[in-house]
Amino acid sequence: MPFKHTARVFRTAVLAVLGLVWLLPVYLLLVNAAKSPATFTTKESWLPTDFALFGNIAEALRLSGLAESAASTLLYAVVSPAIAVLVGAAAGFAIVALRLRHGFAWFVAIFGGTVFPLQMILLPLFDAYSRTGLFDTQAGMIIVYTAISIPFSAFVMRNFFSGIAHSVFEAAVIDGASTWRIFARVYLPMASSALVAIFILQATFIWNDFLLGLVLSQSDTVRPIVTSLAGMQSTYGGAQMSTVLAGGLLVSLPTVVLFLFTQKFFARGLALGQY
Amino acid sequence: MSDTTPNPRARRRREPYRRPALGFIAPGVLLVAVLLYLPLVWTTFLSLTEYNGLGDPEWIGLENYVEMFDDPGFVGSVLNTLLWVAGTLLVPVGIGLGVALLTWNLKGGTWLRLPFLIPYALSGIGVGVIWSFILSGDGALDQALAAFGVDDTPRWLVDAPLNTVVMILATAWQGVGVNALLFTIGLQSIPREPLEAARMDGANGLRLFRSILWPMLRPLTAVVVGLSIVASLKTFDIVQGMTKGGPGRDSETLALTMYKETFVNSEYGLGSAIAVFLTVVTLLASILYLRQQLSSKHGV
Amino acid sequence: MRSRRIPLTIAAAAAASLVLASCGGGGEDDGATTGTLDFYTNKAAWEPDFDELNAASESGADITLETTGYSDAGQYDAFIKQSFRTDKSPGLFTWQTGPSLAELVDEGLIAETTDIWTKAVDEGWVSPDLRDSYTFDGEQYCVPMNIAYWVMYYNKTIFDEHGLQEPTTWAELDAIAAELAGAGVTPYYQTSTLFTFQWFQQLVAGTDPELYDGLATGEVEYTDPRIVDIMNTWLDQQEAGWFSDAGSTVDPAVGLKQGDYAMINFGSFFNGSLDGAGMVSGQDYDMFVIPAVNGDLEQTPVAVESGPLCVAENSAQKTLGLTYSEWWMSPEAQSAWSEARGDVAFNPEATVADPMLEELGSTVSGDGYRLFDRYYEATPTPILTVALEQFGAFIANPSDPLPFLEAIQAEADDYWADQG
Repeated sequence: MPFKHTARVFRTAVLAVLGLVWLLPVYLLLVNAAKSPATFTTKESWLPTDFALFGNIAEALRLSGLAESAASTLLYAVVSPAIAVLVGAAAGFAIVALRLRHGFAWFVAIFGGTVFPLQMILLPLFDAYSRTGLFDTQAGMIIVYTAISIPFSAFVMRNFFSGIAHSVFEAAVIDGASTWRIFARVYLPMASSALVAIFILQATFIWNDFLLGLVLSQSDTVRPIVTSLAGMQSTYGGAQMSTVLAGGLLVSLPTVVLFLFTQKFFARGLALGQY
Repeated sequence: MSDTTPNPRARRRREPYRRPALGFIAPGVLLVAVLLYLPLVWTTFLSLTEYNGLGDPEWIGLENYVEMFDDPGFVGSVLNTLLWVAGTLLVPVGIGLGVALLTWNLKGGTWLRLPFLIPYALSGIGVGVIWSFILSGDGALDQALAAFGVDDTPRWLVDAPLNTVVMILATAWQGVGVNALLFTIGLQSIPREPLEAARMDGANGLRLFRSILWPMLRPLTAVVVGLSIVASLKTFDIVQGMTKGGPGRDSETLALTMYKETFVNSEYGLGSAIAVFLTVVTLLASILYLRQQLSSKHGV
Repeated sequence: MRSRRIPLTIAAAAAASLVLASCGGGGEDDGATTGTLDFYTNKAAWEPDFDELNAASESGADITLETTGYSDAGQYDAFIKQSFRTDKSPGLFTWQTGPSLAELVDEGLIAETTDIWTKAVDEGWVSPDLRDSYTFDGEQYCVPMNIAYWVMYYNKTIFDEHGLQEPTTWAELDAIAAELAGAGVTPYYQTSTLFTFQWFQQLVAGTDPELYDGLATGEVEYTDPRIVDIMNTWLDQQEAGWFSDAGSTVDPAVGLKQGDYAMINFGSFFNGSLDGAGMVSGQDYDMFVIPAVNGDLEQTPVAVESGPLCVAENSAQKTLGLTYSEWWMSPEAQSAWSEARGDVAFNPEATVADPMLEELGSTVSGDGYRLFDRYYEATPTPILTVALEQFGAFIANPSDPLPFLEAIQAEADDYWADQG
């Protein structure tokens, strides 16, 4: 069909052009992160002038002590969203598949956890953490990151499950499956693309978190990576712009790689085709 | 529980899985309640007191709320926040839906979507720096425009409300990919049969979208719109990073006003009152929107 | 069930809040004088410098600093205040002088350092003038961490190109600005966010130091005709094109390097940024003390910013923190610090690495100069917040100054009324 073919070319072209526009700031980020602080000017933003990227990265590492934070940040960014995805899926399952009464109210109760600005809960959390011994511990960080990721996870999963016909659940019941089994063997596999999406979005959020790490941790081994990095920027003789950009680029690498590798989960037809 | 449902058998019939359902929902509710709600109770209490962060809070009733509404800067802050809500619904949600639809069932669509996801994967630190670099007077944008012969550019970050508009666009740059991804999940969950049937009937383009895709996308549209409303009402980082709410208070949002009163002026009571106001508005907006979006299906 | 559960939840939440509210934080002083000291600072960018200093403090006092840096001043302040209520009450932390230190001292939260100051002044390690900023009701609290003089930095290449010399009078400075502007070079840097107060501070204090002090104490109103006159001078300079683009977010050090403007009024810690941007001290850039607007003043006023290093009264590490503070005042500590940080030292016996800063230190301690507290520390916080906003708005859109001043004065009226 020639019409279909034209449409395809048209769609690809629109996406390619828009995509290029979207990559322009990324280009600027790369070019300017590579400029040497000593010769850096803002006069020729778009042109690469020299290549000092690795020197800038080394300087960012020295100033922020990033290396020490990497392992613990990775721990938070993997464990917390993994738990949150499951907890959120379980909540969605309870509301949609098990038809928990007052489901909307329960849903709002969980979703409500995301509506207020994070700044408002920092100080009470710090107080509670330092009283319970959770302050400056990896367990404490994992718990708070998990809690903060749950509302989003529950929201997406609840809505995703609501797109699944209830007959799927009823059929499994007739087969004699327990609710746990239906959840783990039927609903979770069906939702794999949604689970992965939530996981990578929340892992990225946690990897890039700055505020919670700032207030709830202190030692280099517990503090998350971006909190360490943010300390470089300061009126009082902080790092130069190209150094900050290079540091920002370095900490972004893992999340960019994560997005690259999870793309295949969002290819067509993986989700509900078989049901 | 018998006080609301006098007949246990009737209840059991309507809700045969109450116990397991409570078990499934409990972890989420507990974690959120303990870590996120308890601190909020403290904030609500503080909003009724005068407190500078030292000593003990002193009970003053609703005075902070009166003071809050008396402040002309607060009104400007509310208006800016509304501009953020409208802008965020229009731009990142709209473009996100567009990208999801364009890449859907397209060969290589996954890779064409990637440029939109990369900004989200980038660390906020680099992103904030690069956008103030782009929007600076004689910055990257002005230089690019000058190359095309446009010399008389506005002061992007100084002139209100232009500064809020360009910051919304910068946020959109980062947010489009997430929305596109969520819409894509929605598109994937659409069963093939009705689609094929509609196609057989000759439905195409706009008609296919309106008759099949849009209604079927509703659960995920609710997610995207719901999250956008919440996120835009809380807008803080980018404004704090780029204009600090200025010049004057021209680009201040509610979250910034709250931050300024609490952390800069040490007016914990007033800051908390603004936080409570912001929370109530966000919660009401979400409930009104979500109830309308979600309640028609499955009775939940 | 629901009807019962909800009040129960609220009750539990309220009880938890009461636990949070209940006072009595802090820990028992463990009395240690050597070991690892937890140190919190809002100058996170200096963390590597503090780490570098550890070599000196380990041999000099057998104390190692474990530094935690914060980059957001507001959150840092809130965190420190909150920590007094917990067992994380800090053994050593940075703060700011003026009303915000007075507030902590009034609450009895800060450990006294009178003995340390007495010894340091006796030894000639610190000027008695500086002690005033650290004195409350006759006793001293905290020790000075850093000191910065607010001076005028200039791009030497631009000055040389136009055959300009460092000015010694206000008229000469005006002539320089006029000549540069005439030649198409923007004379001064400005920004419309946060650092919006410098020029106002310079104009007021340089015109009449008592007027400046009066603003800080509430005796002078912002709408005072003398202040309005000063603002109109500023407005004239704005209209003459003497200030840089308010919409530029270029890093000030880079801006001076690439000649976006010829001069910038900044604290003497700015040397570090300029060096980092690739400029050479004394060759590419230099500095001068800004002459007084009013040539009849006997002493030239110089704005000074000093950041204290404090110990919490109820910290488990109180003794350790005080031991470190005592060592900190010594010449060897200050020489090591100046080496690590590259900043001016408050201790005249310390050696300062950068000759330009060394010279500045001896210049301003001469008789012809009078140090005054920077506007940022001298002004009560709520007034400061509004003033920074209003100056920012004025910088963005220079026009009749009276509405801006009226807005500041309205906040000042509220504040001083509250103070009774």
